[in-house]
Amino acid sequence: MSITIKLFASLREALGQSEFQLELGAIPVENEASSVINVASIKAALSARGSQWHDALNQPNLVHALNHKVVYLDAIVADGDELALFPPMTGG
Amino acid sequence: MTVSLQAEPIDVVAEYAALVGGAPGAAVATFTGYVRNHTGENPVGALELEHYPEMALRVLEELGQQAAERFGLLRWRIVHRFGVLPVSETIVWVGAMADHRGEAISACECMMDMLKTDAPFWKREQGPSGARWVASCESDGQRRARWERGERA
Repeated sequence: MSITIKLFASLREALGQSEFQLELGAIPVENEASSVINVASIKAALSARGSQWHDALNQPNLVHALNHKVVYLDAIVADGDELALFPPMTGG
Repeated sequence: MTVSLQAEPIDVVAEYAALVGGAPGAAVATFTGYVRNHTGENPVGALELEHYPEMALRVLEELGQQAAERFGLLRWRIVHRFGVLPVSETIVWVGAMADHRGEAISACECMMDMLKTDAPFWKREQGPSGARWVASCESDGQRRARWERGERA
């Protein structure tokens, strides 16, 4: 049970990696009764890795995309998903 | 009806010809974005464009399809570059063909406004004092919101 985490732009630079696998077994569930892991749980688990992670992941306007679609923090994460985290987009 | 993500410069003449094909309909509008040599008072030597390929393709295809439905487009196309782009080179090209000019022009503007805030690309400017990530612009969000509210530009 794992998901792929992808980081882009300034977030990728700040954390020094662009992609890694995250074991879901190590993530505390958001709601004990339903055993649900959502984007907020993943973000909290990664933020606990140290101040660098905490600061980078808690910047205002951080965008979360689950399987290539922008989602809110309550989106449910499942085995095999791809969760991308990045600053606001500036293309065009 | 298609999207391209590419490292090479956009051949605007060829893109126009391919969009129009053998039947120009009645109205064709296009927009081309180029790399500026400055941002405010800061000189810019080149632009680096990072992107999230799988999501960018999906978002741009959805944007084009939504614009086609909303404005009744006969044809549309979006081309966006990535990589290191020198000053004065193309960044983005959108084209729309419709029965009337209003729909074609609005579709181009709508696709561009949505693309700016929704497509996963990130610009980093290279200048004499080093490189810096471009911050998102509040006015881009406001321009996008107008289309959400159903207003015209």
